[in-house]
Parts: sequence; structure tokens; C-alpha cells
Amino acid sequence: MRFEEELVDLLPRLRRFARGLARDAGSADDLCQAAVERALKSQGQWQRGTKLDSWMYRITRNLWIDERRAAGRRGAHVPIDDAVVQIAGDGAAEVEAGAMRGDVDGAMARLPDEQREVVMLVLVEGYTYREAAEMLGVPIGTVTSRLARGRETLMHLLGEAA
Amino acid sequence: MTFDPATVAAFVDGELDGPTARRIEREAQADPALAAEIARHRALRDRLATHYAPIADEPVPERLRALLAVDGKIDTSLAARREAKRPRFAAIHWGAIAASLALGLTIGLKPWTPAADIASRQGRLVASGALAKALDSQLASNQPQNAEVRIGLSFRDREGRYCRSFARGALAGIGCRDDGRWQIERTARSEVEGAYRQASSGELAATAAAMMTPNGPLDAAAERAARDAGWQARRP
Repeated sequence: MRFEEELVDLLPRLRRFARGLARDAGSADDLCQAAVERALKSQGQWQRGTKLDSWMYRITRNLWIDERRAAGRRGAHVPIDDAVVQIAGDGAAEVEAGAMRGDVDGAMARLPDEQREVVMLVLVEGYTYREAAEMLGVPIGTVTSRLARGRETLMHLLGEAA
Repeated sequence: MTFDPATVAAFVDGELDGPTARRIEREAQADPALAAEIARHRALRDRLATHYAPIADEPVPERLRALLAVDGKIDTSLAARREAKRPRFAAIHWGAIAASLALGLTIGLKPWTPAADIASRQGRLVASGALAKALDSQLASNQPQNAEVRIGLSFRDREGRYCRSFARGALAGIGCRDDGRWQIERTARSEVEGAYRQASSGELAATAAAMMTPNGPLDAAAERAARDAGWQARRP
């Protein structure tokens, strides 16, 4: 399969990952776009036969970190109210769904970056601790401790029933 | 509760080896505190999964697809060749295979495969003979061009089992390693005879994609490692 086709297949998951990192859908897609552009430029660095998804997640995550650092906001906590976006809609179900979405988004936004990325990779994207550690370039112990802290915060914010 | 929180979390994340995981499962039945802790972790995972899953189902915005120029800009002669080569799969009525096996009417199976490739064990269809052997040992990344059985994708399904798609003659399918055997999960009949065919194409690939974990198919190294370890399932 062509490199570009494999990348297209990966886009839905990549957008999901980016949505967990970035603050809103627009900046998540901006992040995806930057990651795809970077990937096309450094295509030669990807070794066929190795996992394209790990490589793409790593690129996406590194771009995100760069962006956060450049903005001088690394580790900053976003106030929960800013992160909650009310979804416009007539139906009560839609409003309710929007509020639910806001809860998780808001709780995720409160996590420090290094916890948020681990939560996304392991709890949402389903990678093993080892795979997450390799993507992030940290020891497995660091993954598990960040994950534990992130989990506790999320459980606290989302309530015991999560 | 005799397990520390990190161990319980690792259990829910599917990170523990079989014996430890089974011990936790057993103790949770008699220990309400442990059971509650497991439920708490599962609830968080479910909540996050439910929240983020729809994003992967959204249509990908045009500005992203356009970067990869897959729509329309592909060399059409190549695309046409691929289209011509792609075998069409028709789903076989699953009950019909089971019934013909149960009745010993292998004639129903003959047009597609030698009956010896699939056997019935305790009411389940499993690979046997050359098919079982190929699923056991043949690597997709390194198979002879003229191999009788062609292996397509190898992947882990959501239950932690290893699964592999295959094609032999006009029969294509997916087998998953369960209880020391390759249980046949899906079959499809390829209507194209003769020419080289990819087991991973068409409907079967879609089925495989729906079955596999978000990690996607195994790469060559992971496939080899899984084979060398005897396709041991890693249960969450």
C-alpha cells in the first residue's frame, strides 16, 4: 500500500488522539494537519515494516509539545469553564450529550500535559505501557506513575461512577 | 485487598501475565473492595472510550484528506489494475458450513476447500491439516510466492486473542487462536479463480479491521515474536 494510503487509513484515529491533546476540534485538526505535513516531509525516516501508527503518534505528540512550549503554557492548567464548549442544539438529548462531552473534555483539560498524553495513549488508544513508553521516550515506570496520577484526577473530577 | 492500586490498574489495562490476572479475578469474587476498585477503573476506561470513540467515526475533513491526495490523484492505470485484481468475496452462509460438517456432507464444502482444512471440535469449527500448520508457522512477511495457504493480516482482537486472515484456493477466512486451536471466525468465498489473491482485501479486511484492537495489525517483528511465543493470548 502506498505510504499516503496508509496514512489516510490512520487519520480517523489520529484525529481522535489529537482531540484528546488539543483544546478543541479546530486546533486538533490543525495539529493533525501539521503532523501529516511533517510525515510527508520526513517520509524517508520511516522504516517500512515498522509501525506507521507509532511513528505518526510520536510526530503528533512532539508537535503538540513543541506548540505548548512555544506558547509558554507547558504544564498550565486550563480553567475548566474555558474548556467546556456548549453544543448548540434544540433537542434536550443534544444539550445533554454536549454537557457530558464537556465533562470529559473539561476533566482532561485539567490534567498536566504529561498525564494527558499517557491517558490518551493507554486508556483511549489502547497501547500497552511499553508501547506508550517507547512513543514518549520515557521509562515504563514513568508511564505508570503518570497514568496513576491522571486516573485519580479524572476519577475525582468525573465522580466515583466516572 | 491484597493487591496494591498499581496492580489493580495494570490488571484492568491488560498488562498482567496470565497467572496474576487469574488470581485477581478469583480474589475479586470474594473481595468486594477489590471488585469495586476494578469496577471503578473499568468505569473510567468506558467513560473515556465512549467519549472519544465517535471522533474516529467522523468523516475526515477534506483539508486533511487533500494533503494526501488520495482522492482522484492516484495514477488511474494503477488504480484500474488494482480494481481488476481485487477478488470479490461473498459471505458464505455460516450455518450451512456448520450443518454440512455436522452431517458429514463434505460435498457442500468441496467447491471451496478440501474438507480436511476445517474440522469440527466440540461444536466449533477449527483449522486442521495444512491450514492449521500454515496458521501456526507461516509468516505473512516471509512466505513463498507459491505457498498453498496465503496469510494476510495478523492481529490481536479485542479479547486479546491472536487472529490471522488467510486464503487457500477459493476459501478465505479469519482464524483466531483459542484454547490451543485456530478457531475459524469468519469465512468468505473468493469468486476469482487462479490469479494471485490477497487474503486481506475486500470484506475480509473490513471484518478484520472491525475485530482488531486499535493498535492495528502486527508488524513483521511482532508477528514473528507472536509465532515464536506460540500465539499465546493476552487476556485483559
